[in-house]
Amino acid sequence: MIKNFLYSQKVAPYVFVLPFVLVFIIFWVYPLLSSFGMSFQKVTLGQEASFIGADNYTKLMGDTIFFKAVRNSAVYMILTLLILIPFPMLFAVLINSKAMWGREFFKSSFFFPALTSVVVAGTIFRLMFGEMEGSLINSLLGVFGVEPVKFLKGQTTGFVALVALASWRWMGVNMLYFLYGLKNIPDDYYEAASIDGASAFQRFTRITIPLLKPTTIYVLTISIYAGLAMFIESMMLWNGNNSPKNIGLTIVGYLYRQGIEKNNLGYAAAVGIVLLIITMVINLTQLALSGMFKKEEE
Amino acid sequence: MKNKWLISFLVVSMLVFLAGCGKSSSGTSGGESSVLNGGAGDKATELSYWTFVELHGQHFEKMLEKWNAANPDRQIKLNVTVMPYDDMHNKLSIAVQTGVGAPDIADIELGKFPDFLAGEPQLEPLNDVAEPFKGTVVQSQLDLYAKEGKIYGLSTHVGATVAFYNTEILDEAGVDYKSIVTWDDFKKAGIQVYEKTGKYMGTADTSAIWQASLLLAQQESDLTDADGKPQVNSPEMVRAMTMLKDLQDNNVISTIAGGQPDTEEAYGEYNSGNYAAAFMPLWQMSRYTNYMKDLSGKISIAPLPVLEKGMHRSYGGGGTGTVVTKTAKDIQLAKDFIAYAKLSLDANIEIWNTLGFDPINMSVWDMKEVTHNPENQFVKYFVNNPFDVLNEIKEEINLIKSTSASPTINNVLCTVTLNEIFEDGKDVQQALDDAQTQIEQELK
Amino acid sequence: MNTGTLRKILLFAFFSVLCLLILVPFYAVTIASFKPGEDLIRYGLNLRFDLSAMSFDNFVFLFTGEHAYFTWFFNSLLLTAVQVVLTLLVSATVAYGFSAYEFRGKNLLFVCVLLIMMVPFEILLLPLYTLTFNMGLMNSYSAIILPGVAGAATIFFFRQYLRGIPKEMIAAGRVDGANEYAIYARLILPVMKPSFAAMAILNGMNSWNNFLWPFMVLSDENKYTLPIGLKTLLTPYGNNYDLLIVGSFFSILPILVLFLGFQKYFIDGMTAGAVKG
Repeated sequence: MIKNFLYSQKVAPYVFVLPFVLVFIIFWVYPLLSSFGMSFQKVTLGQEASFIGADNYTKLMGDTIFFKAVRNSAVYMILTLLILIPFPMLFAVLINSKAMWGREFFKSSFFFPALTSVVVAGTIFRLMFGEMEGSLINSLLGVFGVEPVKFLKGQTTGFVALVALASWRWMGVNMLYFLYGLKNIPDDYYEAASIDGASAFQRFTRITIPLLKPTTIYVLTISIYAGLAMFIESMMLWNGNNSPKNIGLTIVGYLYRQGIEKNNLGYAAAVGIVLLIITMVINLTQLALSGMFKKEEE
Repeated sequence: MKNKWLISFLVVSMLVFLAGCGKSSSGTSGGESSVLNGGAGDKATELSYWTFVELHGQHFEKMLEKWNAANPDRQIKLNVTVMPYDDMHNKLSIAVQTGVGAPDIADIELGKFPDFLAGEPQLEPLNDVAEPFKGTVVQSQLDLYAKEGKIYGLSTHVGATVAFYNTEILDEAGVDYKSIVTWDDFKKAGIQVYEKTGKYMGTADTSAIWQASLLLAQQESDLTDADGKPQVNSPEMVRAMTMLKDLQDNNVISTIAGGQPDTEEAYGEYNSGNYAAAFMPLWQMSRYTNYMKDLSGKISIAPLPVLEKGMHRSYGGGGTGTVVTKTAKDIQLAKDFIAYAKLSLDANIEIWNTLGFDPINMSVWDMKEVTHNPENQFVKYFVNNPFDVLNEIKEEINLIKSTSASPTINNVLCTVTLNEIFEDGKDVQQALDDAQTQIEQELK
Repeated sequence: MNTGTLRKILLFAFFSVLCLLILVPFYAVTIASFKPGEDLIRYGLNLRFDLSAMSFDNFVFLFTGEHAYFTWFFNSLLLTAVQVVLTLLVSATVAYGFSAYEFRGKNLLFVCVLLIMMVPFEILLLPLYTLTFNMGLMNSYSAIILPGVAGAATIFFFRQYLRGIPKEMIAAGRVDGANEYAIYARLILPVMKPSFAAMAILNGMNSWNNFLWPFMVLSDENKYTLPIGLKTLLTPYGNNYDLLIVGSFFSILPILVLFLGFQKYFIDGMTAGAVKG
């Protein structure tokens, strides 16, 4: 009986998707709900939790360090968007042009940094951006007569290092996305445009950019996510979660500080919920604006 | 075809790695974890020990051998794990609170200790094993790691803060460090050093509060008031920071890579002879011998300058309390062992010999054959004998209290306030007032 | 010279410069791995190529010294292998369920898959942490493997791939009397093989470099993976740059070899989630 039941065509699909349902419920829905619940409690590991209403949220709204973290994450996200979308797109178009020598070689070497672990890459960049005269970046600046810069102690210079790290790791990957998108644009379009006398620039703005839109939206979505959830990059660059004046503190960093370092789980959960809301709002707005939902319905 | 070749290459290389692992995983150290045998037999109890200072493991190794020889029926094998400072404290905090994965014995740094004493401490009281040593060791060092009369951690050292002068630089500038008594003298000397050599006399610390603490201690003040409430904008603190800021403005001191003398970047700077002085607890000696080898034979130790003549010239800075967790396998054995390894006379002698710390059993300070042993690496390295200085300031070692507010105070000052003052030039009073507000807000 | 060639040269020069910039950090690490760790602290990480200061000492130490590097290396290798195999099998099965059948709740469930791709995993760290603790999975590899075993991106990719497989195959299987699971195992899985390579690489890369969650779960250093182990070398008191740098250098190697061999799959894997235009 049971065997027949399990083997029926009606039941089989549920058996197939069961692992996902289990993982989804145990490792996503449950933690998400418990996180939501925790955010209204005072929780300390190993001790009884007590309900404290919206106290965590009211405290959060008056927490200047939290706002510093939000600002840092937002600025980081915006900077990575400004750099990691237009440039990879441009490079992809250039590298894709028929006049390119050694295309495969460049593709691989651009992609290569993505293979390194954040731990390794972050450490390398921390040392490169060291404040000593002999540290890589400062020694290069020295060639031009620039005094050594204390990169990791200043807000702006710290972000230069942070964004440099992100650009280094993700430039090649994003370029690949755009190359992939370019493959799907038929050559006829360009030929037709050329015949009509369109310049290279016009072809880029009138054909390439509009037709790359789905790829751009995809890259945008994952970049927003990655930008807002960034933490380890900062942790490795400052060799810990405590950067001078919290210049490198991110939302997730603050969640980690409150939850793990200060054992203040309820408060940290509130930070997480706020992050979730921010990410969802931005991404859904972005997707709505770019008309993604309409397309899904078609 | 090419792929097949590659796969076989990969398989072969992986096998080579695996073969390599078999060899290297048996006895690991330097890498982070190691089981110390200390001549223990098969019946020995294995205890785990977490620390954030590799050298502490070496001290325990020595004491373990002695323990195992003296206690054949209670032998111990020690499984030592060294982790970075933040990670170790975070993991330990989680482990003791959840009761899962905690080691039997652990080192907790003084600045983090109050976090572990919050609520119901998940550590074993050590009064019974510390009792026999009362009177031989400095009482204030036992009290430092206690709560409501229960001692939870055993101190490693007094941490008497002294001045370390690079005599080579001072000679070049024509400065005699022995004539430096007050901070005014220090300032004059510093100006001379900067003019003659272009080098800075000392550091303006941005990532540690040694300087702030020692200047408060000189004024018989503290970071917290009698009730343990933060008071980082006290007149004494303002005076201290204003004085340091003045030194910085006169090119006497300057910020350093790493933010304070006890960081790897700073070791490099000092080793290259870019700074002439450091004001650090005595344990900084081991950093000199380990990481600043080029300065051997050039560093002199002296009492700290003071704001006004007659003020106390030192304070006990930093420290590590060794604890036994509630979940320890054999609590009594662990307690007896750490008492032996930290409080016994033998231990205190070894703490000086191996670690170069000023032991909390002060009778060691008078043991000439120990403190002036010509074979000792620290005696060899420094121009003068540290204990000559220590004995001179013995009665002047003040303390800065450690309270439940301390970790927060420390964090705010070291990440925000000191950077604002010395890197951004923010007004001292303003920076300290902001710090006070921030600390109060965080402690709410 | 005609403009075509000039354009070619300019393009090539431009990308060469860019490429050099990208390779600078690798060059710096490679150089540093031949220098004593003390130099690094003292002079910083730089590009100075100075043969007299360079030696194979660090490499000798890496292979013969007493440290846990290869324990971590082996752990990472093991964890990556197990994680990749499990994730691929489970995700492919789920994807098949989504693509081969029409069933009640299918669309809702698939929206959940997409949703997972948009929720930052990081916000779940703390509840997952307490959950792991309550399940008694602390310090175990299961705690690292299980949450990712039905990977959203992997499911998504497989589903896209399965769209290209004709439904007639399934129907034919049924005519032959095979049951639903046999059809999947004997008919469909073999056809999916090519898509496995790309996903193996994508998951393998993520797993090999995974840090935050394993770092929170694992407390026994004998179970550490390579990134965690390397991070433990960053203690100011241990002065372990000798091992750290050469270890970092060496940790990139296996993935580099894989990459050079299976470039195409890397690129397919990375672009798997990207929407078709």
